[in-house]
Amino acid sequence: MGGYILKRLGLAIAVALAVSMIAFLLLRLSGDPAIAIAGEGARSEDIEMVRKTYGFDRPLPVQYVEWLGKTLRGDFGESIYFKTPAAPLIFAKLETTMALGLLSLAFALALSIPLGVLAAVYRNSWIDRLCLALAVLGQALPNFFFALLLIMVFSITLRWLPVSGSDTWQHFVMPTIALGYYAAPAFMRLIRAGMIEVLEADYIRTARAKGLPASRVIFKHALRNAVVPVVALAAVQLGFLLGGSVVIETIFALDGLGYLAYQSITFKDFPVMQNIVLLLSVIYVVLTLASDVANAWLDPRIRVA
Amino acid sequence: MENCTRGRTGLRIAAGVLLAALFATTGPALAGKKDDTVRFAYDQAPESVDPFFNNVRIGVIIGANVWDTLVYRDPNTSEYKGNLARAWKQVDDRTIEFDLREGVKFHNGEDFDADSVVYTLNFVADPANKVTTQANVNWIEKATKLGKYKVRLTTKQVFPAAIEYLAGPVVMHPAKYYAEVGPKGQNTKPVGTGPFKVVNYVPGKSITLEKNTGYFKDSPKGAAKINRVEIRFIPDRQTQMAEMLSGNGDLIMHVPKDQADQAAKVPHLQVVSGETMRIAFMQLNSLDGTPTPALKDPRVRKAITHAIDRESIVKNIVGAGSRVLNTQCFPSQFGCTDQGAARYAYDPALAKKLLAEAGFPGGFETEIFAYRERNQTEAIINNLQQVGIKAKLNFSQYAAMRDAIRAGKASLTHQTWGSFSVNDVSASIPVWFGGESDDVTQDKEVQDLLKKGNNSVDPNVRKQAYQQALKKIADNAYSVPLWSLPVYYVASKDLNFTAYADEMVRLWEMTWK
Amino acid sequence: MSSSVTAAAAGVEPGGVVVAAPGIWRRVWKNKAVVVGGGLLLLIVAVALLAPWIAPYDPYAQDLANRNVPPFWYDAGGWAHPLGTDPLGRDYLSRLFYGARISLLIGVSVAIISGLIGTSMGMLAGYFGGRTDMAVSFLVTTRLSMPVILVALATVALVGGSLWVVIMVLGLLKWDRFAVVMRSATQQVRSLDYVAAAQAAGASTTRVLLGEVLPNVLPHLIVVATLEAASAILLEAALSFLGLGVQPPLPSWGLMISEAKSYMFFSFWLIAIPGAALALLIFAINLAGDGLRDLLAPEGRA
Repeated sequence: MGGYILKRLGLAIAVALAVSMIAFLLLRLSGDPAIAIAGEGARSEDIEMVRKTYGFDRPLPVQYVEWLGKTLRGDFGESIYFKTPAAPLIFAKLETTMALGLLSLAFALALSIPLGVLAAVYRNSWIDRLCLALAVLGQALPNFFFALLLIMVFSITLRWLPVSGSDTWQHFVMPTIALGYYAAPAFMRLIRAGMIEVLEADYIRTARAKGLPASRVIFKHALRNAVVPVVALAAVQLGFLLGGSVVIETIFALDGLGYLAYQSITFKDFPVMQNIVLLLSVIYVVLTLASDVANAWLDPRIRVA
Repeated sequence: MENCTRGRTGLRIAAGVLLAALFATTGPALAGKKDDTVRFAYDQAPESVDPFFNNVRIGVIIGANVWDTLVYRDPNTSEYKGNLARAWKQVDDRTIEFDLREGVKFHNGEDFDADSVVYTLNFVADPANKVTTQANVNWIEKATKLGKYKVRLTTKQVFPAAIEYLAGPVVMHPAKYYAEVGPKGQNTKPVGTGPFKVVNYVPGKSITLEKNTGYFKDSPKGAAKINRVEIRFIPDRQTQMAEMLSGNGDLIMHVPKDQADQAAKVPHLQVVSGETMRIAFMQLNSLDGTPTPALKDPRVRKAITHAIDRESIVKNIVGAGSRVLNTQCFPSQFGCTDQGAARYAYDPALAKKLLAEAGFPGGFETEIFAYRERNQTEAIINNLQQVGIKAKLNFSQYAAMRDAIRAGKASLTHQTWGSFSVNDVSASIPVWFGGESDDVTQDKEVQDLLKKGNNSVDPNVRKQAYQQALKKIADNAYSVPLWSLPVYYVASKDLNFTAYADEMVRLWEMTWK
Repeated sequence: MSSSVTAAAAGVEPGGVVVAAPGIWRRVWKNKAVVVGGGLLLLIVAVALLAPWIAPYDPYAQDLANRNVPPFWYDAGGWAHPLGTDPLGRDYLSRLFYGARISLLIGVSVAIISGLIGTSMGMLAGYFGGRTDMAVSFLVTTRLSMPVILVALATVALVGGSLWVVIMVLGLLKWDRFAVVMRSATQQVRSLDYVAAAQAAGASTTRVLLGEVLPNVLPHLIVVATLEAASAILLEAALSFLGLGVQPPLPSWGLMISEAKSYMFFSFWLIAIPGAALALLIFAINLAGDGLRDLLAPEGRA
């Protein structure tokens, strides 16, 4: 078990480093940050001055190593655009995005588990198709369209919910639905597949033959086994949700990490951008590592993989 | 299975607790007229609230409401009135002396006097302090204190637009406070003398202003009448409109014409619109290394101008208040004129003829950069297509377009320019024809004429020089002046609100109906 | 490979080994999902292919005097423009037809590019195991820990937005699920008799992979391809929303939706029409893909 963890940890670190390098390169190549900082109307002397001040004229590998060293020591540098330290900025926004991610995950599960169970129990019938249709429904529309539709219905027409912001729990209802719906189909299919596999296993048939009631069979045995890969998927999906919340955060003015990332790409705010990508990939890697370990602990067969 | 279900519920409870802990609710949002609060939504948050360290419109607006300048230009009469300065005198070509107002206090209690002016001006003029828009301050050489309420300002060169800049972006900071906390401190806890003071600021999210009850009575701006303004940064335009439609907002700006027309039909909303100083134009790269060599031929450039149906676009797409321009400056700017300049009427047949004469009977291919007003760019592309010029659209961020221009990679660019609301042509034309890195024409004669206009103090000499430069530019069709841009505001019907051409939202003037 | 990464792809594969069963066409007919989904898909493809002939107007022709004309079911609308016109006066019905081409092109191209990359990687990893497997596993995990939207944004900011940039960026990013699924499918097939027989007979690795393994993992490939195509089409819409997708005046449905967003609260039909078309396409793809998956499941589960 210990060896397994070490191996996974080594892989995790390697991945995080690789991602940080890619992100760094990509961002540097995507444009001249000096112009973005100097702004509309700046002359070439201004831009040169900016370039020297921020050290953009040094060779790339030097800039990368320096950045990596500082980051590992906890110094995320200063946001070029906001002119405040990047670390508190990033972590403040992370709170909001984390809350949104967790809530969306919960919503996705709340939606997909009943649908997946129903679909598995009544597999290949019209109920099965209907459950899938419902799960896929929110995913068939581009997410910004779906989000604006929700606003149209719940804020403008019904006036039940506030439009944007993050002050109260009501502000999180629509963003959660809009973001969480996208994760639902994947969970639903997984639960359905897992439950079908279990429901058709011999020992289940035996249990049913012995006369155990269907609901007990479903919930006590089948679901419990189908849930194991869901835990793994949930970790992965949380990572995706955190990385994919840009559009939702923009529309609902949630001022979270996703929107900060979008702003930092737009304004070539490299310290912030690089650290966000690194942070998100570290979170993702940690989540997958944790779920791997949890899985391995639950199912010894996996440790050999 | 119980464990599983419990686990799921547990997760939800945890999330709920987390949320409750993070966001202790303060009750429903303040509601407009009932709470004497104007809820103003804007899309882009400024990178810093200190007016010298941002270059977004909302930053300029906050600057005018929370701070004061030495001089104030009355938007209705265009005359300069004393604001923090009682009077001023042009001593010689490069020197102005100011008599300052007494009895003015900053929001933190500090007194306003010559020290504030001297410290602020010398601080921002120093390039080491990295003021964002250098053009606003790098004309200042130094400020000297002559007495407790008397200051002398020296400019680096003859700079006739000095008063205009001192009435606009150059606000006054408190010397002691600014020396202590610097721009970072001003961004965290902003302090000015203006009709509003900042009571709450969450960077990137919102800024709340409250009426400054101690505002000095002699100010030409006048004291604020509304108690509070809550400015929220909402990046998506549709979300802003949704806030207005659901009654949760009182003011939004830069609403596209079509939506403004529709919003006017909504019972609880009103639409206010007006022309602004922002001009739209197309820069044509006619330098030797231009990616589209056809642009070097003046006939091609003239053909392009003739091909665009500016009247129709202005009427149908741009909106009420805008007008077609014949020279690349805003008519109210000192020195801006289209007198004697060539005019190019919409004439696609003539355009085709000119193209054929220049050796391009079938037209040619090129690329056009744009960063805003995309529907206008599309209409332009369509017009060009009809005379055979196939322009591929490259729509990107402003910074990316500027990169391309300065690297010589752009052929046609559809740009806009607000001149920082400075009413002097030195804030517009020289940017593209003054020989700097944005000059993709590099005509020496034009550059010399502009230098003459920029550096003379005699208004007649200036006007003549500018007029000749503008004429040469138009006659050679170096660029395509398009139109002026209007701004549409959508506001709650309860709000009394006036739109001004300088795109400045004067919150201190607003009242409820 | 990380079990959670495998889990992410699970629920998608048919599971088990696939054997071409007799009476396959009868089974296809009986599977309503494939019939309905596939049928819709074919309809959309037909519209896309026949667009130049069935579209009443040139989708790029602007008519500034007739902007924002509503569809025929509104009072102000008529049959001159059955689905109305857009903010630049272009006929919406024509743009819708031509838009089908672009959305389908994006879906298919991205599926092909990412499919080629991911399948090669997955098959090699599954067939050889050991170091190859570790290397592929590393690449997949690295790819998965990069937020797609942000990478796409950064790349498009780098090279500018256009149809081909979007296709390349998405194609180079979305190969992960192919790799994971093909890997596990290959692992299952690897141990089969006739594969061993081919190896014993001295066939080169390439021949074994292409001749024996590929035909057997093909069904898995098709299922994943359909889902990735749908996902790519939606991602293109999201990129357009963020301003970095295909450039106007291209009538891609994603761009049409993103442009119509400004009119959503007042002229809802401008966004509803391409939105419904896109939803229908995604729905059809998902339905057909799920149906295919069930169809290709081993006997005993059909």
